[in-house]
Amino acid sequence: MNSITAENLSAAYEDKLVVDGLDLNIPKGMITSIIGPNGCGKSTVLKTLGRIMKPRNGMVYLNGKDISRLSAKEIAIRMAILPQSPQAPSGLTVGDLVSYGRYPHQRGFGTMKPEDRKIVEWALEVTKLSDLETTAVDNMSGGQRQRVWIAMALAQQTDLILLDEPTTYLDMSYQLEVLELLYRLNREQNCTIAMVLHDLNLAARFSDHMIAIRGGNIVRYGTPEEVMTADVLRKTFRVHAEIVTDPRSGRPACISYDLIRDEGDNS
Amino acid sequence: MQTAYQIYKRKIFMRNTLVAAAGILLLLAALVVSMNTGYTKLIPSDTFRILFGGGTDAENLILYQFRLPRVILAAMAGAGLALSGCIIQDVTKNPLADPGLLGINAGAGLAVLLYVLFFGTATFLAVFTLPVLALAGAGMTSVLIYLLAFKKGEGTSPIRLILTGIAVQAGIFALTTVLVINLDETRFDFVAMWQAGSIWGSGWKYVLALLPWQMVLIPFVVYRSRVLDVLSLDSCAACGLGVDVEKEQRILLFCAVALAASCVAVSGNISFAGLIAPHMARRLVGPKHSVLLPVCALTGAVTVSAADTFARVIVQPSEIPTGIVTAVLGAPYFIWLLTRK
Repeated sequence: MNSITAENLSAAYEDKLVVDGLDLNIPKGMITSIIGPNGCGKSTVLKTLGRIMKPRNGMVYLNGKDISRLSAKEIAIRMAILPQSPQAPSGLTVGDLVSYGRYPHQRGFGTMKPEDRKIVEWALEVTKLSDLETTAVDNMSGGQRQRVWIAMALAQQTDLILLDEPTTYLDMSYQLEVLELLYRLNREQNCTIAMVLHDLNLAARFSDHMIAIRGGNIVRYGTPEEVMTADVLRKTFRVHAEIVTDPRSGRPACISYDLIRDEGDNS
Repeated sequence: MQTAYQIYKRKIFMRNTLVAAAGILLLLAALVVSMNTGYTKLIPSDTFRILFGGGTDAENLILYQFRLPRVILAAMAGAGLALSGCIIQDVTKNPLADPGLLGINAGAGLAVLLYVLFFGTATFLAVFTLPVLALAGAGMTSVLIYLLAFKKGEGTSPIRLILTGIAVQAGIFALTTVLVINLDETRFDFVAMWQAGSIWGSGWKYVLALLPWQMVLIPFVVYRSRVLDVLSLDSCAACGLGVDVEKEQRILLFCAVALAASCVAVSGNISFAGLIAPHMARRLVGPKHSVLLPVCALTGAVTVSAADTFARVIVQPSEIPTGIVTAVLGAPYFIWLLTRK
């Protein structure tokens, strides 16, 4: 069962085709990570799946329904998407920003009903932000801010969350905190998660599925064991990688890598 | 027992009430003081006496036919310009944006100028046609700027909108200057005063000309406060929350253009009000639009009616254009605001 299916997807910035004829599935109830080198089109893929970018060609299906035929709000009830380092207006409090997550569920003036308030409180609690509710978002650290945005996506109460590099600019403990939060959401709330990640080892450790992309094409789609191989990483990143099994997580991990020098890079 | 959240909510409610009460008091103060300007002095006690029905015919005429509509018009223009500025700042995510940015003042000015050029200033019709004409001029200019700034597949970015706005405005101002040179003296005076932001309309008919615009547009934009809340985030985040970003931006920018154009048509080119009033309101009550928009209308009304009063008090019994006062007072405030950030 797939949460999102993309068929023959193409996306372009002006005349530059970034993704060309991609087929891709985001399986329901799993954590899927998209990896790939800079400029390979992984963010573009995520944006087209999340209807932030209109595809040049091809179809995206959300739970089997053509996404271009759904209204903006209908999509927002089913799928939340967090852009890379989003901005909030200055002075906005954590509680207010998280309550914006209720937007697609509200009508008219959108006064907060008791059930909306309960959901916001829950989202704050899960992200350990309950004590910071009245703090202004722009006075917070990067890690806290990322948690606020995740809390907003949680308040949206969707079965699917897309995230574009949720760990960028965070130090190692904050990275783990964010990914563990997403892992818990997936396991406890059965929330499907698809994200772009830069850190391969974190991707392998927390994902059920990985998609390696280069030049807008899928190099390999599969479990972390299938994707985190020396061969796939050579094709995807043009590196010689040393892959071992992480003794703690039992997942594959890349302990060292070098650039490939003798092979001409003609990508 | 009260939770911390409830205590916080109460605090916010108290703050908002206080801000609203202070704004209304200031507005009333501006009204009372402005009654006392001009050839005939009406000190506050006179004003109250006339308002409660104890005035002579001459006093009634001055208060009800000249001064009251003027101060009400100033307040309405201030409210409209401030709301317009607030919407433009949030939609373009540019804190330096104001109605002038979208070519509203330039376009409306050109339309007013063309009207004066062909029909003069004397006709009664001018009162009701000028807002429409100003809107047409402002609308065409904004659409032109929007289209020039629009990039296929990406929409409009705030920075492109600003740069295009500056370029188009420069062109219109050049055209305006050429046209102004050829005007006769009375028409030249009228246009010059209009551009300096003189609230020239002083009579109930001008209030009536502006009223229908504001009665439709202000409730409509306040009703859309939630959309504005979400739009003031990233456009990607807004899209993810289920806002049709391009469509809502167009609707709201149209409202902003209509609000400002209808105001400048009767009040002239009042600079800085649309830029500064939203900043004051944000500092007072924060960025949530359900509260911000009404407070913004209030700060705008207070600013312009105070400036208009001031414009008449300092050089009594004559007056200087209100737009000059808002600029003289607004520019330092704005520089102070910039240095603080």
